[in-house]
Amino acid sequence: MVQEAESKMAKSNGGILKWMAEYDRRYVYLVLFLVVIIPLLRPIGMAVSVSPDTQQYYNVLNTVKPGDKVFFTLNTEYSGFNELHSGIVASLRVLVEHQAKICFAVGHVEATIIPDLIIKEVKSEMDANGYQYGRDYVILGYVMPNEPAVAGMAMDFHAIVTQDSLGRSIQGTFLDDVHTWQDWDFISDFSTGLSTTYLQNHFALRGTTMIVNCIGVSVPSEKPYLNSGLIKGLLQSMKGGAELEYLIGHPGVGLTSMDAFTFGHYMLIVFIIIGNIGYLGYVRKTQTEARGG
Amino acid sequence: MADILKNRQLQLVVLVLSFLLVFVPYFIDIPQLDAASSELVVITSIVTAFTVALAVVSQYQRGMHYIVKRSKGWPFKAYMLISIALMLVFALFGRDSGPYEWVMLSIINPLSSVNYSILAFYMSSTAARAFRARNTKALLLLLVGFIVILYQAPLTGAMFPGINPIGVYFGATFVTAVGSMFLISVTVGAIVFGVRVLLGKEPSVLGSGGRE
Repeated sequence: MVQEAESKMAKSNGGILKWMAEYDRRYVYLVLFLVVIIPLLRPIGMAVSVSPDTQQYYNVLNTVKPGDKVFFTLNTEYSGFNELHSGIVASLRVLVEHQAKICFAVGHVEATIIPDLIIKEVKSEMDANGYQYGRDYVILGYVMPNEPAVAGMAMDFHAIVTQDSLGRSIQGTFLDDVHTWQDWDFISDFSTGLSTTYLQNHFALRGTTMIVNCIGVSVPSEKPYLNSGLIKGLLQSMKGGAELEYLIGHPGVGLTSMDAFTFGHYMLIVFIIIGNIGYLGYVRKTQTEARGG
Repeated sequence: MADILKNRQLQLVVLVLSFLLVFVPYFIDIPQLDAASSELVVITSIVTAFTVALAVVSQYQRGMHYIVKRSKGWPFKAYMLISIALMLVFALFGRDSGPYEWVMLSIINPLSSVNYSILAFYMSSTAARAFRARNTKALLLLLVGFIVILYQAPLTGAMFPGINPIGVYFGATFVTAVGSMFLISVTVGAIVFGVRVLLGKEPSVLGSGGRE
C-alpha cells in the first residue's frame, strides 16, 4: 500500500510537472486570446510610462513650423497599419495642429486606402485649422513602388509625380514649390520596412529631417540610424504610438490597446515561468535519473 | 543587331556608365550631370513600373498552364486569376468608392490583418516553449528576456520606474549592437556584390550563366 501510494504520488507529481514542461500550445493560444479580447471589450485604463525615444520623437515633431512641407509616407501594408495606427494618427494630429503642408504617399498597394481613413479621424482638427485639399494637403497614392521612384522624386519630383491618387493634376497645389529633396522640410515615415531605406538614402542622408514610426521587429534595425543621427526620432510600434497619444493628450486606439498589450506580455512571462518550473522539475530530473541509472 | 546587343562587354560598359551616371552626381554637384542622372532615374522608374504589367501577364501564362494541365492546386490558380481580373475591372469604376473600395475594406484588409495577427499566437507559444534555462547562457538570456518583456509592458514602467533605465540600457547596447552588426554585414555584402557586378564577375545579373 505504501508502495502504491508512493507510486501514485510520484505519478501525480510527475503529472503536474510533466504538464508544466510539455503543455499543449493551444492553452497559450486560448489564454492569449482571452487576455487580449477582454481588456479590448472592457478597457481598464491602466497607467503608461513614456520612453525617452518617444519623448525625443515628440520633441522633433514639435519643431515643425506652420507652412513646412511634410512628406507623410506610409510604407506599410494594411496589416502593419493596425500596429502603427495610433502613431500615424497621433503624428498627423500634431502636424495638423502645427499647420504643416502635408503630402501623403504610400509604398504598398494595400496602403492606398489608409490616407482616407486617417484623414477621417482628424477631420475635426483639419477643419478647425482650415485645411483645404491642394493648398494644405495632397494625397498622391502609391508612388513609391521601388528605389528608382524614390530616387527620382528626390532628384526631380515633377518628373515622377504628375497627378494625385485620383488622377487629378498636382499643378496648382503646394507641390508646385517642391522640385528636389531640398524643398521638403520634414519626412514622417511609417514603416514595416518597405521604402524607408530608400527615403533614408535619397532624402535623409542629403539632409532632410526624417522621423520614423516602425513596427516592433524593425526597431533593432532602425535604432543604429537613430543613434547615428540619420533619423531624428523613432517611435516604436504600438506602444510608442500609445505613449505619443498620452503626450499629446488625445487618447485613441493605442492607449485603449495598452491594457491588452500589458496583459499579453504578463501572460507570456507566466507561461515561461510555468515552462521552466516544469523543465527543471521534470525534464532535468528525468534526464538526471536516466543518466544516473 | 541582336548579336551586338547580346555582346557581354557592351552590356557591361552600359552597366558601368549607368552606375557612374547615378553615383557621381550623388557626391559631386555638376548641373548637367544632375539633369542626365535625373532623366535616367525617371526612365528606370517607368521601365520598372512596366514590370508590374509584365508580372501580371506572366502570372496569367503560368496560371493558365496549371489550369489546362489540371495540375495540383489548379482551383487556387483559377481563383487567383479571376480575382486579378475582377480587381482590374473594379478599379475602372473608381478606387475611392464602389466595389474596389468594398473589396479592399471588407476582404483584403481584414485578411491581411488576420495574417499578421496570427503571428502573435505563434510567437507567444514559441517563446513560451523556447525560453528554457538549459545552461548558464540560456539562463542569462531568460533573465534579460524577462526584463525586456516587463519593460515593454507599459504598466510596469508606470508602477516600477526603476525598470525603465535597465530596459533602455539593454535596448541601447545589446539590441543596437546586434542591429548594427546585421546592417554592417548586409551593407558590406551588398558593396562587395556591387563591385563584382561592375567588374563583370557576376554575369547572372546580365542574365547569362553562373558566377566566375
